[in-house]
Amino acid sequence: MNEAEAVFLFVKIWSAVGTVIALVFLTVGIDRIDEDARGAYVFRLLLIPGILFLWPLVIWRWMILETGRDRWLNRHKPPREAHFWVAVLFAVAIPAIMLLGLSQRQQWPSEFEPQQLSVEQGEIQ
Amino acid sequence: MSVKYIPVQWNPNKWKYNTIMLVSVFAYLWIFIELTPGIMANEGRINGQIHNARAFGSCAFFMLTVILCIGPLARLDNRFLPLLYNRRHFGVMTAFVALTHAGYILNWYFAFSSSSKYETLLFANTSFSQVAGFPFEIFGIFALLCLFALATTSHDFWLKFLTPRVWKRIHYLIYAAYISVVAHVSFGVLQDQQNHIFTITFMISALIVAVLHLMAALHERRHGDQMANLSDGWVEVCDISEMKEGFANIAMLANGERVAVYLQEGKLSAISNACAHQNGPLGEGKVIRCLVTCPWHGFQYNVTDGRSPAPFTEKVPTYNIRLEGDVVKVDPQANPPGTYVEPVPVKA
Repeated sequence: MNEAEAVFLFVKIWSAVGTVIALVFLTVGIDRIDEDARGAYVFRLLLIPGILFLWPLVIWRWMILETGRDRWLNRHKPPREAHFWVAVLFAVAIPAIMLLGLSQRQQWPSEFEPQQLSVEQGEIQ
Repeated sequence: MSVKYIPVQWNPNKWKYNTIMLVSVFAYLWIFIELTPGIMANEGRINGQIHNARAFGSCAFFMLTVILCIGPLARLDNRFLPLLYNRRHFGVMTAFVALTHAGYILNWYFAFSSSSKYETLLFANTSFSQVAGFPFEIFGIFALLCLFALATTSHDFWLKFLTPRVWKRIHYLIYAAYISVVAHVSFGVLQDQQNHIFTITFMISALIVAVLHLMAALHERRHGDQMANLSDGWVEVCDISEMKEGFANIAMLANGERVAVYLQEGKLSAISNACAHQNGPLGEGKVIRCLVTCPWHGFQYNVTDGRSPAPFTEKVPTYNIRLEGDVVKVDPQANPPGTYVEPVPVKA
């Protein structure tokens, strides 16, 4: 098995576990932890890709809400301080990446004439 | 809002927003693919598959650029706030456009191998140890995964389920995605780009995003909410003369929370500054008949008890408030969301 095959095996296992979690969460769990979801079914289809992709996060939050450990105060603390560090990161990383990319550009030799190596169908070599 | 989850609650503003967005996307693709194929594409001969890939790829880049400009523009000038209103639909559309770009690439560059095209994508170039010829596809894959994570968690359910704080942290992936896209383009198509129009447009767009974020960050440092002073276990918000009827003054507590203190009909009330929906700044909203409207997405709360009007169910914490002479003070300990606090009358 090469690395690429290993990556896709991991993706298949991840998706299979996610499918089971999605099935249980959307049929049983969601009604227990969110009163607004009770009696609403169509929107649950929209949640399937997210659960397949981020199922560990779903389990973590589901357990917190099931066990009553959710702290209401945390719902009103936006992480606004991150804006400053994003600005610093953008100001440094974006110009640096573009300059590095431009520095790697190579000029095509001006005297080089491209040659067709393949043989056109019906052409005699 | 949150009265049962309905896939999309349409209103005229959402129709208008989405129509402008979709018309712009189709217009861009039409101009790129049909009208003036030579302007943004390579001067060399390329087939239709590659041309389409470049049309969708560049469209996704410009859409991401616009999305990332909206946040800092709205922080710098509140006239841009309407652009925030339906930004999530914009993001989901961007993920689809980027996915189409990936589809064209996979079905051309990686489709003619004996291996699966998805596996070929991963092992066709593994020169990770060199800058020249670096496998730039990996940056695109990472950005696409980020956009996928954002698009699949865009429904309001996720905001409530994960809490706005966790949801926002996940959605900060958009910044990593943008840097990754800049690297994907810089080490990808830019290496071969003989037509300078795309190169220049790409660089200016990315630099605009960087500069706007820097300007917004500096603006917040200079004009951001001030830390409130603590005295006798209460925090001083402001002098009553600084308050304006129908609007709020915002104070930052020592623990980083923000309190919005409103003057409405000659009485003072205080609630959390963070909207229950996406933690938008309630203190920047106007109060009409006891209800403040969040400037981001229009959620409303009664400022005396922090509850959304029926049938909506959102609640925000309230704060006890008092007036000492002319100084407005709040108790830094928040009351549980939805707790009624008697408004404090201001003496004429």
